[in-house]
Amino acid sequence: MLATIYTGETLWPGQLGHAFILISFLSCLFTAFSYYKDTKQPDQGWKNIARGGWYLHAFSVFGILATIFSLMSLKMYEYKYVQEHVSDDLPYEYIFSAFWEGQEGSFLLWMFWHVILGIILIRKNYKIESFMMPIFVLVQAFIASMILGIYVGFGESMVKIGSNPLLLLRDTMNIPLFQNPDYLSLIEGRGLNPLLQNYWNVIHPPTLFLGFASVTVPFSFVLGGFWKKDLKSWVEPVLNWALFSACILGTGILMGSAWAYVALSFGGYWAWDPVENMSLVPWIILVGGLHTNIIAKVTGRAIKSTYFMYALSFVMILYSTFLTRSGVLGETSAHAFTEMGLEWQLVAFVLFFGLLSKLIFLANHKHVPKLANEESIYSREFWMYIGSIVLLFSAVIIAASTSLPVVNLIGKYFDPTYIGRVIDEPITHFNKYQLWIACFVSVLSSGALWMRYKAFGWEKQRKKFAISFMVLLAISVLICYLMSFWISYFEPRYAILTTLAIFGVLANLYVLFPKNWKSTKALASATSHLGFGVMVIGTIASGLNEGVISTNPFAMKGLMEDDELGKVVGLIKGEPMFCNGYWITYESDTITDRYRYFDINFRQVDNQNNTVDEFNVEPHVLFSNDLRKIASINPSTKHYIHKDIFTNIRSLPESQIDVEKAQAAEDSLKYKEHILSIGDTVNFKNCYGVLETINYTPSNKNYSKEDHELGVQVNMKFHPTLKDSLKEEDKNKIYPVDPALGLAENLVYTYPVTIDQLGVKVKVEDTFFADVFTVDGELKYQSFEIPQGGSFEFGDYNVSFTNVIKDPTHKNYQFEEGDLPIGANLIITHKDGTLNRTVTPLYIIRNSIPFTVKEYLPQEGIHIRFANIDPTTGKFTFKIASDSRDNIQIPLLIAEGVPRTDVIYLEAKVFPGINLFWLGSILMMLGFILAIMARKKAKS
Amino acid sequence: MVVAAIAIFITASGDVSTYASFGDAAISQGKVKIVGELDREFPVHYDPDTDPNIFRFHMVDNNGESKKVIVGMPKPQDFEKSEQVVVTGKMKDDTFVASEVLTKCPSKYKDEELSLRSDS
Repeated sequence: MLATIYTGETLWPGQLGHAFILISFLSCLFTAFSYYKDTKQPDQGWKNIARGGWYLHAFSVFGILATIFSLMSLKMYEYKYVQEHVSDDLPYEYIFSAFWEGQEGSFLLWMFWHVILGIILIRKNYKIESFMMPIFVLVQAFIASMILGIYVGFGESMVKIGSNPLLLLRDTMNIPLFQNPDYLSLIEGRGLNPLLQNYWNVIHPPTLFLGFASVTVPFSFVLGGFWKKDLKSWVEPVLNWALFSACILGTGILMGSAWAYVALSFGGYWAWDPVENMSLVPWIILVGGLHTNIIAKVTGRAIKSTYFMYALSFVMILYSTFLTRSGVLGETSAHAFTEMGLEWQLVAFVLFFGLLSKLIFLANHKHVPKLANEESIYSREFWMYIGSIVLLFSAVIIAASTSLPVVNLIGKYFDPTYIGRVIDEPITHFNKYQLWIACFVSVLSSGALWMRYKAFGWEKQRKKFAISFMVLLAISVLICYLMSFWISYFEPRYAILTTLAIFGVLANLYVLFPKNWKSTKALASATSHLGFGVMVIGTIASGLNEGVISTNPFAMKGLMEDDELGKVVGLIKGEPMFCNGYWITYESDTITDRYRYFDINFRQVDNQNNTVDEFNVEPHVLFSNDLRKIASINPSTKHYIHKDIFTNIRSLPESQIDVEKAQAAEDSLKYKEHILSIGDTVNFKNCYGVLETINYTPSNKNYSKEDHELGVQVNMKFHPTLKDSLKEEDKNKIYPVDPALGLAENLVYTYPVTIDQLGVKVKVEDTFFADVFTVDGELKYQSFEIPQGGSFEFGDYNVSFTNVIKDPTHKNYQFEEGDLPIGANLIITHKDGTLNRTVTPLYIIRNSIPFTVKEYLPQEGIHIRFANIDPTTGKFTFKIASDSRDNIQIPLLIAEGVPRTDVIYLEAKVFPGINLFWLGSILMMLGFILAIMARKKAKS
Repeated sequence: MVVAAIAIFITASGDVSTYASFGDAAISQGKVKIVGELDREFPVHYDPDTDPNIFRFHMVDNNGESKKVIVGMPKPQDFEKSEQVVVTGKMKDDTFVASEVLTKCPSKYKDEELSLRSDS
């Protein structure tokens, strides 16, 4: 077999990139090994060698990134990853999004952050560096193995390790196209999924992956610390890292939820989707770990718990990576993930570090010093510890429920008859438990701050504590009651949670009062903790009280259960609809680029129909890269301080969704042919139409003059006869239509017109084109021989020949070297003065052979040629002909009962108090930053 | 602590059930989840002009039984292309009334031919 020699491929970047990949993996192993040597033989230079290994690793990772980015920017489609994620029309700012759209790219993003964090760790020169870094580096080695793309013999079979992002397209699929040596010039990129062409996808993944990567740091600290049997020196420095990690990971999760709410059609900011859950679980455990870490720092207790929390938090990151990237969640998640075929490698990743944590713990936990006395239940650390346990509980419940598909999979593996189980109502299920956890957290995160470490001065404080507690609780009950005029609680448990959340906010403010707020440290914890309370209140307000505006007052009831009134209302363009205190009007739609925006007006009125408030929203749809169908529907939200009004298009008429459906809708119409002359009338069930005129300069809204060589348009007017279904102002309207035909590159295109109000669609049969524009061969030309300055009569027209011009231009003529073109300026006038036009037909000699380029007046149907020059007589010959348009019969295709195309199906919801959710969440994150700042200050 | 964990486990197990069949749904009082496939013998019916909040289709459960399903929400995009359908709801007479429907669509690029340049 002969190997095909391909043209246009550039192979060396792929080879270079793959070399970088191999180096990045090997350098990890080398670095880990060198650190390990240093732990055995300290001060023999192994540490510096190890550091060098990491810098080599950093270099190779940057090399991989640079290679892939270059390939993507240069649109080198011979590479599979490039072909799958970019396209020629992809805007440059989305190259990053395209890079991490695939699994390989997102692993690289994760590696990139590890590289940066690793360098910072080395620079910090921690005492336990040589014990901590091997752990950190091994994590990186595992991730690097995910993009290795090598096959290893494993008994009989070959095992694939990693998926190489630099594979050639032709090596990954076996199709006949690759027998063509020039295949590269034929293929184009698939481009980035339109759903991801969004600025959120530029900022959310890097933040989230920095969060993921940063969780590796506390993990490495605790494992390294235990391994070294050093149970002290890391307790202090790890805290900053954990704070940083909690802040970034938390921000990354919030960005995801903001993205879902603002730009995607999820219709909310949190849905207990498995993917959301599994990013939250490590964060909650990490926050629990932060608290045990602080206890360990202040009192020397809870060191084992800190180890456990930080280790588990990291293992949960790996577990969530496994769940979201292996396809296990398939049935239960709205997030779609492509499978990579590396499930077992991911399992090995989780198990390795899970077992490693366990082993290091078992080997060293007995070295943790035991403190003699029990901690007092009046101490702050006691309640902080309880708080951490509650957080851990919360995470375990979420993780366990989310893992149900894994349980099912294991069950089926051991017992093929095992029937998988599912959670009936996930949202109810999760809320049920997290509600009480939030209650506990609200109280613990406020009350505990009033206590002192080691129960210092409790005896004196006791009475004040009890009184403040009761007073604040009473105030909280009162505020909760007052809030019931704004939001409903429905069930007592929600009122309890709201009360406790308010209590949490007040108690934390009380901590800062009167002068504690000057201490950044106190401010930090109070900010995070009161942020939690605010977030909970925001969740109750916006989640529990989410209200639907778009219920249709005229909808039929009874089909569905009574309490489930439809949430979507159909809006006809220009017709206001009254829903729950709002007049909603679909005013217009505009198409720009790949978006179609729907401009919708909301006018809120009081009982007397006076306008209270008015605003416009613009929900829109995004078409796929090839413009053949709608790829995504994006909501639009009107923000107020106290509420959001969220609007989203839930459906459009079939014909508006994609090209195939539009064709199917067109095919289902029953057209009838009507052959009409100007002035004729034709009757329909609910109207009659009159053919008014024909014109040769179409102005149909879909027709563009630039794209067509010739066009013809028919103008008709429709008068309604059956007016029952029409609105008052439409009853006496006359509806003009202007269907057109256009010629482009020898093809005739039809431009039909629909009258939505009457359900009538009109198009001109394309055979009509040849009737009005006679083919040149069938024209009967008349010849006239005249001198310059002469003229002749043709029918009702007078043609006068004014002068000859050199170097003439003509839209159908392209000058070639050696051509001798001559133009004749002719003035054509009509007897009744309706026409006075100068035209310039051409007479050209090319290679001693003459030919002519004609002028054509489409409106009048006149063709003129400059046929000959007789140098001997000095006379010029012109040929003139006209289209045979006497007694024109226009064949029209007209369908009745056409479904409306000017309807949208809109959902509009109110989220009261949603800003409290965002404010609370941001305060929580701000608290982490303040804590880092406070610790910086304390150090200096 | 352990007691709390066990208590949660017991209450939580009440939230969990297996996928039901139409047969189970007919006997059951509460809401059930049924997994199956779209029955392509029958058309998917969605007429938003009449009511945008309802669409109907026929579905075959894993026992091979086909039943009419009414869902109280707009028809999801590409519903006709779904490989697997999961509905949550209950039986009413001979029709399954669903409050929720989840579909699993073939992955975006599966079996898709390479797209060739249109200009060549």
